[in-house]
Amino acid sequence: MSEPNPAIRPAIQVTGLVKLYRRTAPGDQLRTLKSALVERSLTKNLKREEAIVALDGVDFTVAPGEAFGVVGGNGSGKSTLLKLVAGMLKPSAGRIEVAGRVAAMIELGAGFHPEISGRENVFINGAVLGLSRREIQRRYDDIVQFSGLADFMEEPVKNYSSGMYVRLGFAVAVHTDPDVLLVDEVLAVGDEAFAHRCLRRIEEFLATGRTLLFVSHSLDLVEGLCDRVLWLEGGRQRLVGEPRRVIDAYRQEVAELEGEAHRAAKERREERAERRQAQEGTTPEATDATLRWGSGEAEIAELRLLGPDGAERYHLNSGEDAVFELKVRAAQPLADFVFGIALSTPRGHEVWGTNTDLEGYVPTRFEGEATVRITCPALRLAPGEYKVDVAVHSREGAPYDYRKQALTFTVTARTGGVGVYFPDHRWEFGGGIEWGSTG
Amino acid sequence: MLQVARQIFHFSSLLGTLTSRDLKARYRGSVLGFLWSLANPLLLLAVYTFVFSVIFQPRTAGANPYALFMVCGLFPWIWLSTSLLEGTMSLIANAGLLRKAVFPAELLPMVSVLSNLVHLLLAIPIVAVALLTGRILNYPVGGLASLLLPAVILLELPMVAGLTLGLAALNVHFKDVRDLLANFLTLLFFLTPVIYPIDTLRTYPPLYWLVRLNPFTPFTLAYQTTLFKGEYPSPYLWAQMAIVSLVAWLGGSWLFDRLRETLVEAA
Repeated sequence: MSEPNPAIRPAIQVTGLVKLYRRTAPGDQLRTLKSALVERSLTKNLKREEAIVALDGVDFTVAPGEAFGVVGGNGSGKSTLLKLVAGMLKPSAGRIEVAGRVAAMIELGAGFHPEISGRENVFINGAVLGLSRREIQRRYDDIVQFSGLADFMEEPVKNYSSGMYVRLGFAVAVHTDPDVLLVDEVLAVGDEAFAHRCLRRIEEFLATGRTLLFVSHSLDLVEGLCDRVLWLEGGRQRLVGEPRRVIDAYRQEVAELEGEAHRAAKERREERAERRQAQEGTTPEATDATLRWGSGEAEIAELRLLGPDGAERYHLNSGEDAVFELKVRAAQPLADFVFGIALSTPRGHEVWGTNTDLEGYVPTRFEGEATVRITCPALRLAPGEYKVDVAVHSREGAPYDYRKQALTFTVTARTGGVGVYFPDHRWEFGGGIEWGSTG
Repeated sequence: MLQVARQIFHFSSLLGTLTSRDLKARYRGSVLGFLWSLANPLLLLAVYTFVFSVIFQPRTAGANPYALFMVCGLFPWIWLSTSLLEGTMSLIANAGLLRKAVFPAELLPMVSVLSNLVHLLLAIPIVAVALLTGRILNYPVGGLASLLLPAVILLELPMVAGLTLGLAALNVHFKDVRDLLANFLTLLFFLTPVIYPIDTLRTYPPLYWLVRLNPFTPFTLAYQTTLFKGEYPSPYLWAQMAIVSLVAWLGGSWLFDRLRETLVEAA
């Protein structure tokens, strides 16, 4: 669904939500206590200068049966939003209405007591989540089966591995049968098989018309699971809407910011090199011999990655056109030269490499300054980071200038996958195979 | 105020589970288990008995045999002071729970009160044996009046709970509360007639009234009246206990309620 139907009573309605946190100044306890006692809030009459603004004017509505995702960087207010909806925190301004029973999974196994057995902890955790003893009794076997910890239920949970801890916590939480489930980044833990089981359980939960508010850094998961997504940035609402649109916009910006960071780092590096050069009269190349070597008869002055629009880039979306541009210079006219390029992963696995010699170019003359462009239409790399090596050398292989890891760039893609290659592809199924709505 | 009582009632089965969890966790892996909870009171008892009946031969009129007199007031006092000390820290100690789960915060101080109440109940057989021994030795202790013990405990419970709730909530904002309380309780121990009979003070009226106005005094007197003297407390004493208990409960739970919404953020 794209926009909720206004005729249905929303499962979650958030209007003009603002949340401030008081900056804790030492010796301020008396004032804090006064405001707590009089206002029943630490921040109600607080000036904005005295506060940290965690959320600032957030509005959204979630319809029953909808899966609503929240994405954003660290400190963007995602967890605060979840705690507000759960009723753990009070808004500084604005309103939150939630219909039905809420269960919040902010940390799995919160409240487990390390010294007592898994079995007893299930009962306590269930009661914390609002179940009566009898209800837990009835669901106990399901919970144990779901967690896969049948053999460990009598052990004190301090002997559990962190994965077991989380599994038991999740098993209890999903068996509490809430109307609205709030999930904060909890599926990132536990092994893959268990994560799948959790996802299936959440999908079943959605299929029965219940509502999900889901906070995660795993964008693929959010995109796969949610009907709509909210992008928070610095406590403000950047974008709400269809998952693919919001997540792509978010990814794009993250990648651009990373590009900025790369660019800034490069500028700083160059500045430092220039300073060194000015001070010591040495060339910067001489300082990192492990990444750059050669006789110097020819030189690669610069390597840039250009996007389809010709602008310098440090990230690509998989499938975009990419251009590697080399600015080269020959110290003296050369008749024997080869230009080469290679891509590798940060762990050193070669992805692709080629040179002009392999591709049949016969060198004749290289003199003064020149430009070399390698254009890769629709470069379908898998998401990840890649390093680029470039070289100019003789046909015998004697290096004039060899630059390892001259450039690093990242590739993002809409969906996940392993390996380095990401071909355009589609799935087709015949016969008795059926799929749910997600994915 | 109502909200606190309602929450405690609503989550009473969770409160029970948490209390038993607290007790189990406390003694898991310990050989003597809950017997440790008796070690400190018995040690105190031995020391004071030695000091007051061997070293000094003081005006212990109305407190003979001394060990029997003291045992009646000591265990309830330990319930009170330990509940307050542990309960005051309970919200801070469980900040993780409050911040990571939707959790009825009032249960945490209540768990301290109740698990220490269990310790008090477990000490009753010791008191009973002591009283029986006294009777065999022809002292006029115990008797039918001692059956009123549960009533006195029940009447004291709202006071202990109210004070613990209020102090726990305050302690979230003022970490000084705990240190203040620890020192204050030491002082109060001597201002409550646990180790001496209150009648010894009658010759110093200011001190007598100071002790008499101490809100914990009526309860201590009631324990000593029913258990040690084997008499029924006067209606006047019952009324004092009821009033102190009501006021402490209302005040403490009001404070807790006012601060409730700030607890998650500040804990």
